[in-house]
Amino acid sequence: MRESEDGAQALDAFLAGVERKAFRIAQIALRHEADALDVVQDAMLQLSTRYSSRPAEEWKPLFYRILENRIRDVQRRRNVRNRVMAMMPWRGGEGEDEIDPIAQAVDAGPTPATEIESDEILVALERALQALPNRQRQAFLLRNFEGLDVAQTAAAMKCSEGSVKTHYFRAVQALRGKLGDFRI
Amino acid sequence: MNAGMSEELAGNSEIEQRTRVLLIESTAALSGAVRSRLTQARHAALDARAHGTRYRLQRWLPAGALAAGALALLVVYLPPHSHPVPTTAAINGSIDDIDLLTSDVPLSTDQDVDYSFYEWAVDAADNSGGAHASPAAVGSNGT
Repeated sequence: MRESEDGAQALDAFLAGVERKAFRIAQIALRHEADALDVVQDAMLQLSTRYSSRPAEEWKPLFYRILENRIRDVQRRRNVRNRVMAMMPWRGGEGEDEIDPIAQAVDAGPTPATEIESDEILVALERALQALPNRQRQAFLLRNFEGLDVAQTAAAMKCSEGSVKTHYFRAVQALRGKLGDFRI
Repeated sequence: MNAGMSEELAGNSEIEQRTRVLLIESTAALSGAVRSRLTQARHAALDARAHGTRYRLQRWLPAGALAAGALALLVVYLPPHSHPVPTTAAINGSIDDIDLLTSDVPLSTDQDVDYSFYEWAVDAADNSGGAHASPAAVGSNGT
């Protein structure tokens, strides 16, 4: 019983540590806040119910692998839905499932000029990240943002370490090409 | 891997550092609603884990108890040998039957029974004290 409580506390601490970054990764990939929250919740649930008995050092790559799978599922569902909608011209104008760019914009609030500038840079960065191919974006965010090492990133992406390095390198080059020498 | 790539991976370039700082800052700026949803999701995941463990125990406990009870019943009530050991008498009887079956004498069947005699005997018992008809007479009446 005591062991179970310790496990629950460790899992709680782990999830609390990754939830915000996981949300941001999902939000950048899906460009939709509610969908991002859903995939993060799914990933948390699956890790808790199926993989929490695994050693704690395996949780992070496992969690991000689950998260990436969920993100891909949502993207596939959207693709299918878009194709079906494209075949129904009478549904084209309703736009009920379209993403509202205003609703999705970062909530800046009343900020001083420096913060507005910073927000603009963040928006530019998000756009640049969204323009990357999926694998490059995954490699970049997991390595650079989440701080996974190459082996953990490879485990999360289910690919070789060499592929991770290649994707990451190309992502950095692409971002540099798009953003230039932007300043914070 | 070319030289540029090695250099890129060896130490974080400026753009990597900047993007990292920006993204980490963006997590601190998440709205209260999002933070609340994330906390709820975390608690739901932990609850599901706790319920899952309890549910698995609850699911298997009755089945395990039932199986143990059935096993105990079998051990207590079943004799050591479930098939009866043939006794000497039974073996001897079987041998007698073999003699009977292999003998040349035909087995009697119902066709050999003289029912008229039994019918006469019944009638005689019913009419006790009266005139006694002979078995031949009864048989000759065609009954």
